Amino acid sequence: MRVIISIVLGLLFGTVLILSEAVYWQRIQEMFHFKSFHMYGLLFSAIATGVISIQLIKRFKIKSVNGNLIVIKPKKLNWKGNIIGGMFFGIGWSLAGACTAPLFITVGLNWQIGLIIFTGALLGVIIYGLLYKKLN
Amino acid sequence: MEPKLAWYFAGPLLGLIIPLGLLLKEKQFGISSSLRVIGSFLLPTNEYFKYERSNDYWQVSFVIGLILAGLISTQFESLATSEYLEVYNTSNWYLFLIGGLFIGFGARYAGGCTAGHCIMGLSQLSLSSFVTTICFFIGGLIASYLLIPIFI
Repeated sequence: MRVIISIVLGLLFGTVLILSEAVYWQRIQEMFHFKSFHMYGLLFSAIATGVISIQLIKRFKIKSVNGNLIVIKPKKLNWKGNIIGGMFFGIGWSLAGACTAPLFITVGLNWQIGLIIFTGALLGVIIYGLLYKKLN
Repeated sequence: MEPKLAWYFAGPLLGLIIPLGLLLKEKQFGISSSLRVIGSFLLPTNEYFKYERSNDYWQVSFVIGLILAGLISTQFESLATSEYLEVYNTSNWYLFLIGGLFIGFGARYAGGCTAGHCIMGLSQLSLSSFVTTICFFIGGLIASYLLIPIFI
């Protein structure tokens, strides 16, 4: 059951990304060339929804479906990782025209291209793992 | 060109993943850790991959849902205009492979991707995610203006 909930969440999230065309390479290029407001509108309204949800959950101490108090861990600040990793990710985001969710959606949409990006991403994570000690 | 779903509908729907993840799964939204889980099966003795991976198993199920969304949408005609599909040609394989490499490496070094930092992290007003999101855009602008014109 718990697995099915996660799969359904992924299915819904993916469907919205496909219908809003955020999965396409051209949309990412339009965003970085400031040719269309669409992607910015998507990101800002998604974040606004997130900010409001988190404030409501905190203020009213809303519990999860399992009856536990929801604890939100802060994201750790790591200047080196955030800056260097962030720039690397940004370059990949633009070249592949996809971030992580669209990467997986592309595997379903167009398996040849999807598997190429996925293989690259997995290799990238493995390289990070191998260099982990030196980088941190 | 207007997409099937305008941003003011799609954005809030995407943002709902944050309360849904917290309420249903008690999980903070993220996607790129799914790749760390896969890595931990391939390199089990590596220091980075030796971690409590079961906390991130749900992300693997989540990305299976994403792949299914892609598969299902191929059953419907004309979800995208042909101009959008042109670039998805295997002759551009190096663009996607190198892009993928940077995505995987960068996301794990930065401690998250657009999901974990831009959506979840910014929603919790985290400084780490502000810094990272700015760097995502710096990297993206460098690639769009300087690298892609060389590649294509």
